Amino acid sequence: MDIAELDRLEKEVIRLEDIQDIEHLQRKYGYYFDNNMWAEIVDLFSEEHTESVEIADHGVFYGKKGIRRIYWDMFAGGGKPRQTPPWMQFIVMQIGGVVDVSPDGRRAEGRWQTWLCEAKPYGAFPRQEWLHGYYENRYVKENGRWLFSKLHWNNTLCSPFEDGWLKLPLMGWMPLPDPDEPPSATPTRPAITSLTTSGTR
Amino acid sequence: MATLEDLQKRVQRLDDIKQIEKLQRIYGYYRDYGEWEKVVDLFSDKAESAEECDYGVYRGKEGVRRYYIDLLKGGKDAKPRTGYMSIGMQIQGVVTVDPDGVNAKGRWYGFFIEARPTLSLHEGELRQLWAHGVYENEYIKERGTWMFRKLHFFLNFRTPYEDGWLKTPVVGHSGPSLEVPPDAPPTTWHPYPFGYHLPVHFKHPVTGK
Repeated sequence: MDIAELDRLEKEVIRLEDIQDIEHLQRKYGYYFDNNMWAEIVDLFSEEHTESVEIADHGVFYGKKGIRRIYWDMFAGGGKPRQTPPWMQFIVMQIGGVVDVSPDGRRAEGRWQTWLCEAKPYGAFPRQEWLHGYYENRYVKENGRWLFSKLHWNNTLCSPFEDGWLKLPLMGWMPLPDPDEPPSATPTRPAITSLTTSGTR
Repeated sequence: MATLEDLQKRVQRLDDIKQIEKLQRIYGYYRDYGEWEKVVDLFSDKAESAEECDYGVYRGKEGVRRYYIDLLKGGKDAKPRTGYMSIGMQIQGVVTVDPDGVNAKGRWYGFFIEARPTLSLHEGELRQLWAHGVYENEYIKERGTWMFRKLHFFLNFRTPYEDGWLKTPVVGHSGPSLEVPPDAPPTTWHPYPFGYHLPVHFKHPVTGK
């Protein structure tokens, strides 16, 4: 095998490794999220290159600072011991990944869909819901490891288990305090807002 | 530049992950179709155990056979029941191959659409159900082929279509079988709404912890 052939082969192996690593990164994010492992999630985001995180109608949070605010300060309650009812459940299944790595091998984009089984309080009432949503995420490679640089989950439906999506497409309203920007996409019209599929940048 | 030997090792690891993903998904299709003999053949002769839900731990290849054939199938000559359905989607695989290239672990979600009896495994009125849970499995490579070494499925909920996990977290589970008893009691029977999170086998991809 000549040098050029070896070089070509190495590039191809790296591309496959990159896609595999990013798929695992996204799926591990899912398991950490469902297991309330918020410190682990914060560490999945790039310190320097994180653009933003936006989940449902929580609003847009910029930079690694924004990551810490939403996942640690709010979701983890700042790490203070607190009693969340054990019946509260977030299962976010990570399905159908399409990952594109940029030609220079340093950045990537991934689209995923999710199916959720949740239970959470609405005011005084425990409710159970089905949800569906799409991710359009970005990843960056630093020191040989892939990290998130942007996460955006757009909510397609959030419906009571008892009623379904046609009867009640979107239940509740979940803005978080002091986002850097209001939500960028409306939940009920995913096809015409930020969710057009994109190829390799 | 990488050496040829280095690249061969790296391609081998990627290939191993793909083969294990395929194994787990094939397991899913076989179980959906009730092809239990084929499921048993996915396990190594040196299999450690199979454990699902609250059925208990079945040890060794012989235990695996008793679990899938004697218990789940209902005996080697049992015929599938008309209208019975259990579709178990195998989702979100994270597969970790050991440096030895012979042992591996995998975490998966299982999400189920079912029509099955709930008062016993094989008899009584069929109910339509949703179910969800987590696999933490172990695999072993023998003579170039990946097989199950250990299968563990933790049930999160199994609920009637009409009710949902909040109203009726679990139906169809009344403990280990008396007719086909397991070798040990269930290790992790903490379904919804316990708030139990089955620990992840994998290392953090950034911190390595």
